[in-house]
Amino acid sequence: MDTSDQKQIERRVFTSFFQAGFIEAFTGIFLLQLGLPALFSRSGFGDWESALLTLPIALILLIVVFVIRKFVIIPRLGHVKFLPERRRRLSKLVLVPVLTLIAGAVVGYIFSENASLRHTFVGQIPFALIPIIVFSAAAYFLDIKRLYVYGVIVGFTFPLGKYLETVIGSRNILPAIMLFTAFVFLGMAIVFLVASLRKHHEPEV
Amino acid sequence: MTIDRLVHSPARLSILTYLFVVEEGDAVYLLNQTGLTWGNLSANVTRLQEAGYIEVVKEFKGKKPRTLLKLTHKGRKAFQGYQNKMKGLLDIKSPLP
Repeated sequence: MDTSDQKQIERRVFTSFFQAGFIEAFTGIFLLQLGLPALFSRSGFGDWESALLTLPIALILLIVVFVIRKFVIIPRLGHVKFLPERRRRLSKLVLVPVLTLIAGAVVGYIFSENASLRHTFVGQIPFALIPIIVFSAAAYFLDIKRLYVYGVIVGFTFPLGKYLETVIGSRNILPAIMLFTAFVFLGMAIVFLVASLRKHHEPEV
Repeated sequence: MTIDRLVHSPARLSILTYLFVVEEGDAVYLLNQTGLTWGNLSANVTRLQEAGYIEVVKEFKGKKPRTLLKLTHKGRKAFQGYQNKMKGLLDIKSPLP
């Protein structure tokens, strides 16, 4: 077994701790936090009001996900302390929220200078790039390749929704697409969770 | 050429492999990764511990007991030595044309 085989085994061990739907739940909650404010803002609420109104939902869901992971999933998977190289890479995950804030600030600046651009198809491209960049960074630091695909799916909801709004003529299509995709991811998370619970029983120690 | 027969067993090789790629792991982690039964895992861990390849630490996390295992320096060297020996054996070219 050479170094590359060892790295493959180590990577397989690490990613086995992320097969119970945690990533999918997080992606679904991320999309919920995009779609719900968009829906509220189209119902007459301001952008900031909409985001604040829906924040408690996302927080509660995140807490539920973390509690399930900590008290149900991890006891079934076991405790591991990964090697320093892996821990160093994980510690750089803190860059992901930093990247999100920077990307959001840049997009916010672009639209503050060009407010009408936001309602065009082209104006959705900066919004689409944010999740692609953020999920790609998370995929790199977590070494979980499917996050690259999830980032593209999440990003794609922006131009797709705006295009369908233009074609169908309804302003609620974009949030509807985001919410639908969010529920698909949350559904996947539940399926993976159930599969994981059936595969890994509570250990009799 | 002698092979370390303590390492050269499917169950113990599996245990050593999954401990080699982490700093430490508990028994549940090894059970999940190796697919061994409790009894099989316990027996082989005991043999490796007696040889000084594995360090076993029993602790409590809250009220639940937890058994942590990690490779000792001797264990890591033994595993790497086994790897190199097997690589050398398997790299032999056929003397026949």
